[in-house]
Amino acid sequence: MSLAFTATRGNSRSFYTLATLLAIFTVVGLLCFITSYIRGHQVLGSSNVIPWGIPIVVAIYLIGLSAGSLILSSMTYVLGREEYRPISRIAVFLAIVLVFGAMVAIAVDLGRPEKTWRLFIFFVLNNMRSMFAINGILYGGYFVISLLYLGFIFAEKSKWTKMMGTLAIFWAALVHMGTGAIFGFVAARPIFYSPIKPFEFLAAAMASGLALLILVVVSVFRFTNRTLNKEMIFFLSRLLLALILVLFTMVFVDKLTHLYPPHREATIWLLTGPYSWVFWGIQVGCAYLLPILVLIHPRYGKTIKGVIGAAFFVVVGIFGERFALVIPGTAHPLPFYPGKIEGIWGAAGSFPLTPIETLMCLGIFALMGLFFIAGLKHLDLLPVDENEGQTPVKAKEG
Amino acid sequence: MPRWGMVIDLDKCVGCQACTVACKAENNVPHGSPEEQGLRREIYWNKVIAVTNGKYPRVNTQLIPMPCMHCDHAPCVTVCPAKATYRRKDGIIVQDFRRCIGCKYCMVACPYGARSFNSKEQDEKEYYRHDLAPDRSVWGQWPFPSRTHGVVEKCTFCFHRIDRGMKEGKKIGKEVVPACVEDCPSNARIFGDLDDPDSELSHLLSSREWFRLREELDTKAKVYYLPK
Repeated sequence: MSLAFTATRGNSRSFYTLATLLAIFTVVGLLCFITSYIRGHQVLGSSNVIPWGIPIVVAIYLIGLSAGSLILSSMTYVLGREEYRPISRIAVFLAIVLVFGAMVAIAVDLGRPEKTWRLFIFFVLNNMRSMFAINGILYGGYFVISLLYLGFIFAEKSKWTKMMGTLAIFWAALVHMGTGAIFGFVAARPIFYSPIKPFEFLAAAMASGLALLILVVVSVFRFTNRTLNKEMIFFLSRLLLALILVLFTMVFVDKLTHLYPPHREATIWLLTGPYSWVFWGIQVGCAYLLPILVLIHPRYGKTIKGVIGAAFFVVVGIFGERFALVIPGTAHPLPFYPGKIEGIWGAAGSFPLTPIETLMCLGIFALMGLFFIAGLKHLDLLPVDENEGQTPVKAKEG
Repeated sequence: MPRWGMVIDLDKCVGCQACTVACKAENNVPHGSPEEQGLRREIYWNKVIAVTNGKYPRVNTQLIPMPCMHCDHAPCVTVCPAKATYRRKDGIIVQDFRRCIGCKYCMVACPYGARSFNSKEQDEKEYYRHDLAPDRSVWGQWPFPSRTHGVVEKCTFCFHRIDRGMKEGKKIGKEVVPACVEDCPSNARIFGDLDDPDSELSHLLSSREWFRLREELDTKAKVYYLPK
């Protein structure tokens, strides 16, 4: 099956309206970042007790989406499933845009963002025992590999594409497992500390990446009046169901291992404390239960609307999963000494959502949306369609 | 090479927080406003926690002064990607502000909450007072005359005092001690060389019962506590 690809025209009024809107949000985000850079992190929600805030939540979320999206593009280019060819280019491009957004999110959360390069001076001045430094290699390599991968796809060199695709899958899996290791290897934080974290992150990455891909593909194809192979979407929804079940099992085992030994105070606090609504409502409810119920439903699971709904729940729910890991993971007070620690040192931290932090993160999403619609306009990402009355594209920024 | 350590005698500690204040004055650590303290953004290089066991009227309160533990197996050193925090040959874990990128990974990894993030520019008028601080010009290269926001800070065992004392050939632990040890009114803190069998520290550790905080993590902390 040979397939020609093309760019969208991107010259209608709504395209430019969307681009302007995204540009405005990007500029607002940039201004917020400059404010936080000049005035310090006092304008953000993070504190000494919760050092990592929303930008880190966004960063690991985007890395997960990116890795999942890239792994799924391999179905065409490595496993040779031709029926997914129409969406594979867009999957690789999406992965690049998302990992770029993730790097921006990490950079804006650093106290000294002008020293971001220090994360990427492989081996020279880096402490290679640090998971962060190892992830510097992984992220840098990932960016280069996926760019080359997309380049080979555009050049239509199928042998090179297959080789690069194989490398890209392994690298993407490694990238997200490395991100999980940043959390899983920290012994001081009981909610983080778990050998299963890298695998849990990988499962979450694939589930959320697939869900986002379904959302993006369906909405882009719909807004450009392209015909979509429904069977393909239904197969992807089965895959999504399987991935959610794997993820659910991993999270269940992870929490169970944390609850079983007597050292269970922090996890009980997560499940019943002030952040329990994020865990039960968004993570368990939105990311696992609702999509599973929708996808196994005999009627809704067989409609495009049902699949889109499930994918949307997963995309939102996995954000909740990241939030429920990063913020409560550090908020629970450390047991310095046996007994009840009085005063602020024994109190759980609270995380205020500040407008600057929120707008900064929205700016990152808007920046990615800009890159995405620019890519749709200037790169041949979408299959040529016989309905030539193509209307502009709506970007889906997750 | 010595291996600097500290002993804190909880029997002598009265919980007056003189160590906290002395540390702030010595190292030019900003004083936080009450709002900042409520938001947990105040910088503490040394803190004193109160721990209660039991219920009133049968309650026991312990006061635990907590500087950085300067662990031999420091989790913060392992996780720092930029080599900004590292272990000196004499066992002191120091933080290089020029290298620090502010990723806060060390704050996540530290099991003692010894690290603080500097989240705002230091207010010159309020905190940087030449008239009150000791004469810094004679100390040569003072590491923190004023600091930038966006980096992580922690206790240094007053390594500037130790280095200067070593250069002048003074006895560390007797003539030269960190600011918190110097200012303790009840002499609850003792500083010295853990590898020197004749130091006061070694005598105390060999003759008294001692414990370290969070031994279960096996960080090999160099701050020892003598129980009540």
